[in-house]
Amino acid sequence: MSETVKRSNPLVWLIDPMESTAGQADPAYRFSWSKAAWLLPLAIGVVGLVVSAIGWATDSHQFYFSYLIGWTFCLSIALGAYFFVVIQHLTKARWSVVIRRIPEALIWSFPLLAVLSIPIILGMHDLYHWTHGDLLDPASPTYDALIASKVPYLNTPFFLARLAFYFIVWTFISHKLYALSVRQDVDPDASIPQTLRKYSAAGLVLGAICTAFAGMDILMSLDPHWFSTIFGIYFFAGSFMIIMAVMALTGMTLQRFGMLQGVIKVDHYQDLGKFLFGFTVFWAYIAFSQYMLIWYGNIPEETLFYRYRMENGWGTYSAILLAGHFIIPFVVLIGRWAKRLLPLLAFMCVWMLVMHWFDYFWVAAPVLHNYKAAMSLYDIAAWLGLFGVFTAAFMYRLSRHPLVPQRDPRLHKSLTFTNS
Amino acid sequence: MLNSLARDVKASMSIYDAGDDQVYGLLAEFANPGELLHAAEAVHEAGFRHFDTHSPFPIHGMDKAMGLGNSIVGWITLVGGITGLSLATLMQWWMGAVDYPISISGKPFFAVEPSIPIMFELTVLLASLATAGGMFALNGLPRPYNPLFYSKNFLRVTDDAFFLHIAASDEKFDQSATASMLQELGASNVETIHDHGEEDKD
Repeated sequence: MSETVKRSNPLVWLIDPMESTAGQADPAYRFSWSKAAWLLPLAIGVVGLVVSAIGWATDSHQFYFSYLIGWTFCLSIALGAYFFVVIQHLTKARWSVVIRRIPEALIWSFPLLAVLSIPIILGMHDLYHWTHGDLLDPASPTYDALIASKVPYLNTPFFLARLAFYFIVWTFISHKLYALSVRQDVDPDASIPQTLRKYSAAGLVLGAICTAFAGMDILMSLDPHWFSTIFGIYFFAGSFMIIMAVMALTGMTLQRFGMLQGVIKVDHYQDLGKFLFGFTVFWAYIAFSQYMLIWYGNIPEETLFYRYRMENGWGTYSAILLAGHFIIPFVVLIGRWAKRLLPLLAFMCVWMLVMHWFDYFWVAAPVLHNYKAAMSLYDIAAWLGLFGVFTAAFMYRLSRHPLVPQRDPRLHKSLTFTNS
Repeated sequence: MLNSLARDVKASMSIYDAGDDQVYGLLAEFANPGELLHAAEAVHEAGFRHFDTHSPFPIHGMDKAMGLGNSIVGWITLVGGITGLSLATLMQWWMGAVDYPISISGKPFFAVEPSIPIMFELTVLLASLATAGGMFALNGLPRPYNPLFYSKNFLRVTDDAFFLHIAASDEKFDQSATASMLQELGASNVETIHDHGEEDKD
């Protein structure tokens, strides 16, 4: 008789759809940290959200933008994790098995993120200019022909339906990937890897389409005159870059607190470092491609996007983004030694987390503060608040199951992996 | 002095000179990759430097066992990359702003924005060509003539046999002592290879 893992009760389902299997974990893969693992980020999250609530009461326009940036930041981590897991299954990757539980725990963030999207939906009028009805009325003095022509796509019901669709797809695939992998820890059913691959294949295609459109809907439509067909890839590039930093940092944190000793090795971190470096460059490649084509085409609707980000003080922010998100990590991470020097790698992971948030800030905030560059306290508060809650749920999920897919047929290959 | 430098460079590409007696070195066969790895370790530990291993497939950890350091090919890549970057910048500026300036929709004759793809591509092109070329040079390839080919047994190296070769040019080389050391390490078929410098007659 094969063992199965029961579904968790509906209250916990949002955080973890499966009953805890921590009791059946191999001692080497046991989560041995106290509740502080998730209480601490939760405390930071609550403080951040309380400060944000003050922002909502005093300056709701600012609050909605700050919240959107922080929420998109968390969403991008979940999406990066989603693509990482899917690709590992499809390529039958061996090296990554020991770290795979970390992104697997992250992909169940979608239901929580869906709940946390409520303030964005409430603030759509503040965030998305195209929701204003007066722009669409030819008789109105503020009639905007360009936005009116985009109504078949950019309208509130369709926008909400699309968001719902993305989240249903991500949640459905994530549920399969997460639940099957957790079940595999205790169930000797040999067909699980094959099933995981099947859902990964569908998940890769569906997830890619949803992610590209989500990037356009959530961020690009903030400036409804502007369009860039590469924006979906830009959004993906940042997501896939940041998941490497999150995995490396989580692994190092767990090891620092005495877990997974000798399981995740410097060779695994070096590979994460390679991906972090590679996708930092990929991000720059995509960001530059977008910039260069707009520079060449010189169409007013498109060039304005960059003009806003080069004038009124935003030029400094653009320069910081270029240096901090590309040049500095490129120079620091290019050497093999840097990726194997764990304190340096950890520093660069934190650095990239900050720059990744700054990237979204750079996309969204100039829409609000066209005429004077400004970073608000609420930007930081909403970011830390949402990231704290997100991390708390993630750590809680990690604590309920073995820290490694302990019956994965390729686990042995991952444990003995070397990077010569 | 130049001669000894050339010898060292060639030795780093595992091209070794035969001694006056035409003895090129010893070729020892090992039963499996594990034994070859341990033998390589022992031979390196015994102080030999002019030796090489041959197997039908790459063996993980062999570079470490043989005491090979990190390859310098990365530096050749860097030089190639910087050359490509400089050439591309120069080319873009010279063609656009000096040799044949044409105003296209009011764009500057030379600007960084549209030049970056060319700079990027040439950097990658010359860096990768330098890497491939550097790799071949450092490995001493292509190498149509190798005295080891005189050994009939060595033909199996691309199929199912694992060999370790110690060159006569090594300072520690002593035909009989080295041969018995190899035998102690578990080698079968320790063969002396002569470099006739001529075509195989059969």
